[in-house]
Amino acid sequence: MADVALPDNERDALIAMVVRGMARGEASPEQQSLADQGLILLKGPIMMPTPAGTEIVATLLRLSDDAPGRDKIMDTFRKFLPVNRRLRDLCTAWQVRPDGTANDHSDDGYDADIRDRLDDIDEAVGPLIKRFADELPRVAVYRPRLTTALEKFDEGDDSWLASPIIDSYHTVWMHLHQELLLTIGMSRKEDEELEERLVSGGTA
Amino acid sequence: MRPAPWTLPIDDVGLVPFGKGVERGLDERALCTRGIQLETLAGLGLPVGAGLTIPVPNVPGLTAPDRAKAAMNLLEKISGRTVGGTTESGGLVLLRLSASAPVETAGLPPDLVCLGLKRSIIPEDLGERARADLGAAWWKSAAFIAEYALGVSGDDLGTLDFDYPDPIARVDPFRALCAEKGTSPFPSKRSEQVAAGARAMIERWNSPRAARARKKQNLPADLPLALHLETVVVTEHDDEGNGYATSRDFETGAFAPTGVFRHGFRLSGERQHVGHPLSSLPDGVEMLTGVLAELEGRLRSAVLVDFEYGPDGLALVGLERIKRPSARVATSLAVDLAIRGITDEAEAVQSVEATHVLELLHPQPKLTGDEVELVTGLPASPGAAVGRIALDSESAVELSEAGEHPLLVMGETSPGDLPGMMAATGILTVSGGSASHAAVVARGMGTPAICGAGSLRIDREAETVSAGSHTLHAGDVISIDGATGIAYVGALEIERPGPSPSLTTLLGWADDARRLGVRANADTGPDAEVAMGNGAEGIGLCRTEHQFLGERLPLVRRVILSHDFDAEQAALRDLADAQREDFRDLLRAVGDRPVTVRLLDAPMHEFLPASAEEAEDEHQARMLGHLHEENPMLGVRGVRLALMHEGLYPAQVEGLFNAWVDVVSSDGIRPELEVMVPLVSIPEELVMSLRLIRRVNQEVASRTGMIVPFKIGTMIETPRAALMADKLAQWAEFMSFGTNDLTQLTYGFSRDDVERRMLGTYLEKGLMTASPFAELDDEGVGGLMKFAVARAREVRPDIKLGICGEHGGDPSSIAFCEQLGLNYVSCSPSRIAVARLAAAHARLDAA
Repeated sequence: MADVALPDNERDALIAMVVRGMARGEASPEQQSLADQGLILLKGPIMMPTPAGTEIVATLLRLSDDAPGRDKIMDTFRKFLPVNRRLRDLCTAWQVRPDGTANDHSDDGYDADIRDRLDDIDEAVGPLIKRFADELPRVAVYRPRLTTALEKFDEGDDSWLASPIIDSYHTVWMHLHQELLLTIGMSRKEDEELEERLVSGGTA
Repeated sequence: MRPAPWTLPIDDVGLVPFGKGVERGLDERALCTRGIQLETLAGLGLPVGAGLTIPVPNVPGLTAPDRAKAAMNLLEKISGRTVGGTTESGGLVLLRLSASAPVETAGLPPDLVCLGLKRSIIPEDLGERARADLGAAWWKSAAFIAEYALGVSGDDLGTLDFDYPDPIARVDPFRALCAEKGTSPFPSKRSEQVAAGARAMIERWNSPRAARARKKQNLPADLPLALHLETVVVTEHDDEGNGYATSRDFETGAFAPTGVFRHGFRLSGERQHVGHPLSSLPDGVEMLTGVLAELEGRLRSAVLVDFEYGPDGLALVGLERIKRPSARVATSLAVDLAIRGITDEAEAVQSVEATHVLELLHPQPKLTGDEVELVTGLPASPGAAVGRIALDSESAVELSEAGEHPLLVMGETSPGDLPGMMAATGILTVSGGSASHAAVVARGMGTPAICGAGSLRIDREAETVSAGSHTLHAGDVISIDGATGIAYVGALEIERPGPSPSLTTLLGWADDARRLGVRANADTGPDAEVAMGNGAEGIGLCRTEHQFLGERLPLVRRVILSHDFDAEQAALRDLADAQREDFRDLLRAVGDRPVTVRLLDAPMHEFLPASAEEAEDEHQARMLGHLHEENPMLGVRGVRLALMHEGLYPAQVEGLFNAWVDVVSSDGIRPELEVMVPLVSIPEELVMSLRLIRRVNQEVASRTGMIVPFKIGTMIETPRAALMADKLAQWAEFMSFGTNDLTQLTYGFSRDDVERRMLGTYLEKGLMTASPFAELDDEGVGGLMKFAVARAREVRPDIKLGICGEHGGDPSSIAFCEQLGLNYVSCSPSRIAVARLAAAHARLDAA
């Protein structure tokens, strides 16, 4: 359904909406226009893409199977998924200690270790984003966004690691992941299965 | 105060083989944590791996190749192996360089696991798996050295990683990259690799990232490092491996080597939790069992060891104490150490906390599989709870007062919500993680809680709560399991587990150690049975008004409201009969133990019809108007009501004494009756009540031929009673502090109003640090108690003194009661175990 011709600013707004999954607050002029076209839904304080809007973005982003950079993107994606798993595990470890009790952040050493491991993850994802961006320039923007979240976390506000209601490190990472999936044209299910295979020691 | 270890000057002390440091007078300042772990193991005669520590002052020197060579040579001597050579079974011998600091810290440089490959050539004749492991290990170490010692950029290294998926194919391009972009080529010689490795570790330790980690832990910026050099054997065969073992099964708390092992060499410093069970170790688990038992005994702690094994057997390479044992482990360990004679029973009791006991006795849900899940969040505080949805603190308090069980469901909580949190059986929040206010407070109170249930939506206006396809209203019943983080629609069946054998043993020791008696507040036979089962020594408070507020209500009304003498007498007779039945069940459960029965205490308005429509007849309706009170809680209540309607207490004690005669005859038990008069402020109130009670006792004696023995006592719940304790003690054989009411009256608080409106703000502003209804106010209320105790004992030295408010189950209040020298505390049946332990702590801590 790529026959809907959107002006650039609306197109970008729609892509952002689909990548994020939802947004809060007052609708911008672009978002209002998208709503009028039935591509997003304004539901009280929340905005979501409609199935029509989602389909358009999928079409806009989807890389064709014979696109030249596709192999490189898939190679890089296979390196991305194990790092993705490490980040998820790390966010869990931030909230729940290995023995199953809640992390009350009274153990400085435990929290410092998590922050240190986050550095490994951040150092690993940088080159990956760079390689993605060689073929998909859009994706470059996630590097500075991740860095911003990390800086805010280091300034002392713990919610910038994984809070779902702000652009925390984990939230930005999720957007990156979602955009990659839309670009590759992979479903969540396939993505989870691939990640599991790669992490369990397969070469998938 | 001892200066920080790293600020003291240390002489050059050479290289230190594992286990040889203490004899040279070195401690953690030079050897650091890993070095000390190995000293501890070696000092106990346990087999440690071959290796050496480069102590703190020598670390910078290791960056020089000749010093590195000296270290390698010494290592070869100690281990009996040649670096770069092969073992008997064909394994390749390489080097591992690791780091530790004088104290536990996060942010250490990673282990370099693959030093010593001359010219980075990975031998062809190793097996496939060994080659693959070695390739991966080589890349990690080499890249680390390239980045931190040779200044090669992480980006360039990353590109190599992509361009050459197989690490072994990466070797040549890597060496070319270092030659081109690095400050020098990648070292070919083994000793140069070690030297470069040391340099890289030091650089990394000085990096902003590591500095940040130290800052976060409030550790000094100049915290030093020691390095440790060991041999690594790379082999295809399964006869080399590595793993870890803890001394406790964390589910049961029992002593059991628990862990995993893997074949091959340890690839990284991080523990791998996936592997083969310890039972499959080549030589079995016997040796580890002995090692762990020895370590637990010496360190008095649950422990974890890292080990390696090879053809020569098992060697230990790391040791950790488990610093935050779970309740199960803490309890089992405490009992085991005392039984072994390593500690004694008193130490065992002191090493277990009241919160551990609470956790072990948490209610568990009985899941059948048919439960409907509402939402999942983070397990914030263990235990299961069932309750009615309350959307704010105030409504939770209201529900609780109405006799319901509220379950507080909010976006998140703040200190102002504390009263509702205290009233709630459980707490469920949408946001806030496991360190949120709700989680911290709930864990402290032992209240089950789930936080961060992100998909829950609360609509305050519509008073609904929804998740998935479910929409529930305020007042609907839900259940939560704070251990799993799952909330359910409707009511789960909840059971309270009995204590484990370890806990039972420990509580028995606590009973031996404590001085304070522990009794239960129980009103019915079933409650009393639970209480006795939990170890209560008797009933410290049996509230009798519950018996009157149900079907018996018309009887009481007739007594209070009737103007017809005969009608009143008839009602009183019925009352006495009904009470006899109630008390029989209770006394049977009590057996030979003491039971303190508090005569009727409810304020009058609780017995009266709410309005004229509910009155039985016109006369009652008219009386209703006469009897209206402005302030019923301070009005005609307790002993005052009884002295205005003199038939009430006699009817109650007639029932009680008859019940006693019944159970003595039928069951052969002799409960020790203690009759307690509530709300006394004037000694004559007690005297008059005593006269009424004695008359009934005589009547029962002449009718049955049995003199029912009983003690007479009074509640101390008004300031005047406390101040006149000496006069009261002339008549009272025992006194029980009703600390709920005493707290209200001493502060001048109406508890409900204060909890609803004020307490949260006072806590937030720091005017109070805890609710005086949860923790006894030892200055004000406690001051009155102290006065009363002293005066009462002057008059009657052997008077029995107790406490029966909620404070009876609170550890800090119990400690205060120990100080006061009370005889017993009485608390709800579910808190008996905590009270037994807390009473022991109070006694042991004071000694």
